[in-house]
Amino acid sequence: MVGVSIEVLRFGPQEILNLWTSLHFNLIQILCSAFLIIFIATVYFMSKPRTIYLVDYACFKPPVTCRVPFATFMEHSRLILKNNPKSVEFQMRILERSGLGEETCLPPAIHYIPPKPTMEAARGEAELVIFSAMDSLFNKTGLKPKDIDILIVNCSLFSPTPSLSAMVINKYKLRSNIKSFNLSGMGCSAGLISIDLARDLLQIHPNSNAVVVCTEIITPNYYQGNERAMLLPNCLFRMGGAAILLSNRGSERRRAKYRLVHVVRTHKGADDKAYRCVFEEEDKEGNVGISLSKDLMAIAGEALKSNITTMGPLVLPASEQLLFLLTLIGRKIFNPKWKPYIPDFKQAFEHFCIHAGGRAVIDELQKNLQLSAEHVEASRMTLHRFGNTSSSSLWYELNYIESKGRMKKGDRVWQIAFGSGFKCNSAVWKCNKSIKTPIDGPWADCIDRYPVHIPEIVKL
Amino acid sequence: MGYPQEETLVYDIRLSSVGPGQVSGTDVFHSPTGLDLTMKLHYLRTVYFFDNEVAQGITIMRIKERMFSWFNHYFITCGRFRRSESGRPFIKCNDCGARFIEAKCDKSLDEWLEMKDWDSYKLLASQQVIGPDLSFSPSILLQVTHFRCGGISLGLSWAHVLGDPFAAFEFINTWGRSMTYLDLNKPINIPRPVPKPTGHGPQTEPVSSKRVDPVGDHWILPNNCKMDTFSFQLTGSQMNYLQAQIWGPSGDQTPPFESLCAVIWHCVARVRPGFEPKTVTVCKPDPGHGNDIIGNNQVISKVEAGGETSITETDFKVLASMLAEQGIDERNQIEEAMEKDEGVADFFVYGANLSFVDLEETNVYDLELKGKKPRFVYTTLQGVGDDGVVLVMPWPKGANKNGSDGKFVTMILPEDQILKIKSELKINGLLLESDF
Repeated sequence: MVGVSIEVLRFGPQEILNLWTSLHFNLIQILCSAFLIIFIATVYFMSKPRTIYLVDYACFKPPVTCRVPFATFMEHSRLILKNNPKSVEFQMRILERSGLGEETCLPPAIHYIPPKPTMEAARGEAELVIFSAMDSLFNKTGLKPKDIDILIVNCSLFSPTPSLSAMVINKYKLRSNIKSFNLSGMGCSAGLISIDLARDLLQIHPNSNAVVVCTEIITPNYYQGNERAMLLPNCLFRMGGAAILLSNRGSERRRAKYRLVHVVRTHKGADDKAYRCVFEEEDKEGNVGISLSKDLMAIAGEALKSNITTMGPLVLPASEQLLFLLTLIGRKIFNPKWKPYIPDFKQAFEHFCIHAGGRAVIDELQKNLQLSAEHVEASRMTLHRFGNTSSSSLWYELNYIESKGRMKKGDRVWQIAFGSGFKCNSAVWKCNKSIKTPIDGPWADCIDRYPVHIPEIVKL
Repeated sequence: MGYPQEETLVYDIRLSSVGPGQVSGTDVFHSPTGLDLTMKLHYLRTVYFFDNEVAQGITIMRIKERMFSWFNHYFITCGRFRRSESGRPFIKCNDCGARFIEAKCDKSLDEWLEMKDWDSYKLLASQQVIGPDLSFSPSILLQVTHFRCGGISLGLSWAHVLGDPFAAFEFINTWGRSMTYLDLNKPINIPRPVPKPTGHGPQTEPVSSKRVDPVGDHWILPNNCKMDTFSFQLTGSQMNYLQAQIWGPSGDQTPPFESLCAVIWHCVARVRPGFEPKTVTVCKPDPGHGNDIIGNNQVISKVEAGGETSITETDFKVLASMLAEQGIDERNQIEEAMEKDEGVADFFVYGANLSFVDLEETNVYDLELKGKKPRFVYTTLQGVGDDGVVLVMPWPKGANKNGSDGKFVTMILPEDQILKIKSELKINGLLLESDF
């Protein structure tokens, strides 16, 4: 095209006119060609998927009254589990190595000795977290409640009737023709499932806004028994939530923070071991809790491999893909002992948000993807400051990167989440405009203290 | 005297914790002084009563919210005790927090206060002591009890090792201010470093503090007999009358505290024939010390009657003058006696001798919530030795324009001496027939 244009410009205007008359076009031919061009262009633009913009998002900042220092957690545990010193000892060892800090928060009902997890308290926590995040989102984006066309709420372990999405509709008086969805039971990776669902809906509905609310309500799920495998989530899961505004409106292009590029979902549920590795069940005494199997890390590794096998070709530069292919062929044909080539994802992304599921998860992924400490800093610091907030942790991590002033226009972000099922879901975003350091948000009052060095073991 | 339904008087108990909103940091330690450690077997229990106009609109959530910023200043009290290698106790400031207790009572405030059942006040402020698990025992417990009429009580349980009663009352007053003002305008407590060992003991062994057999990590004073408590109030007129009885019309009087204690000393002596308390301990606030740094700073003096004359035969004037003028400050000796063992030994002060504690200046009635003062403030001690304690608190009602303010007296004595003491007090006009 460029070559032709240059050639054409080299001709003078008279020569162009001569060339035109020599072509002997008649009117019908010109009109047909024009229509063909317009037709092809229309088909192209219509079948192109709509661009999904992430206009902005808001994370819930827990009030300081919900703070749970290590010492308080341990003291309460000792009083609640006074007949099971071994279980208390176990919790202490988990906490020491957890990578959590002294400012993580639990909801008010769980602060009691013993905890008082009533349904009313659970609804109270849901209202506190979700409404806080929504109010913050309305403030930041200027969104009017009546402009929300699609609402998706995901909360894995608390599913009352009416649903949490109905609760939001009731509180903010949303429209009666709103398309609302409530995803429950889908684990820590449900946030990206919601994003995927929103994306699909925004393909069908033009000119629409979608609000996605990711949270996990801790109150009804605090394990009250003393099985060790089930006490682990008590030590790690903390209060958190996020509300995200997605849109396919062209008018949002200017101010949107990110564009959604890819979402890749991988489900290993067909494998029995993967299916049972994060399992909610009753212990011998009838207490309900979530049992984590010992194979969790191995299964997570497998799920990740599946996911990046699909993700790789979509994002990696040709050179990396070629190297991977060649090594794969070589291993299959020549020598199975060749080390598998791990593509360098650092060439595809500037920032990584790995779900802060636990220290082990982050360590494992850092090793598998050969990431530097700075790449996993957002994940580690989110785990330290907020604990494992389940599906919303990816948003706290993204906010950390923005708060550090590291997000520039054109940067690509990879969000990876794991969850029960066993699932590995990932999303790729591209930064739409350089983002100024936020003045509000969950990190506003403490970002200067980060990054912190997190010792292997914190002595209580 | 106890009501049979004591256990169900206060019910629906819920426990939680409140602590500082800010992180205190890793490896921050506070080292109590020798004097602090001497007081570790004593506990201050005080209950504030507020009418329902005050209590309306003060929810538990709001109280807890304000406490989180209040404890930013008092983060030291939120720590837990550990022992160093030498065995000396210190506080690790790990933000563990104070225990917060919510409770309900079926009686109205009026009914409760009319009961005058001093024993049941134990239900309004926790009786928990430090230990046997040192590192998991809170030093402060706060209880909010809701009464049927809507009134509330705030019960503070304060481990004396943290500080003297003045520090404790200043602590509560700061909370009161925090309920109204966001900015407390108060410096944050600075943790004390480990004091350097002095090596030598005191020149003379103190009389006000006595050693006990090691109690290990369970910091409660073992008593040889069961202690009981009762209280009575004295109006301003009664105080004036008392002074007149002792001193006559002359203007040369000792302050009301000393006059009152002289009479009580005499009464106790009459109840203990053959074992009269010849030496007493007097605790007063240190005039030169502000309340900004937490610790035990009150003056602890011994007053030794000496001589051959028995107390019962000594004139009130003489006793009062002795109390006012012949007190010898023993704080240094007490400190040195504790430091000789590097802070590991176990001592006690209240009840080592008959002890008089002057709490008149504690300004407890200055605490204002929603502009209203508390209806009544009750204070007692737990962990008192066999010789007993007399606490003198202010009593704002019945204050006279000319002359003394009223006093509220709480006495903690061995159970078997209580009835006799009461009759002695009646004889001397301190206890009226109407006060049981």
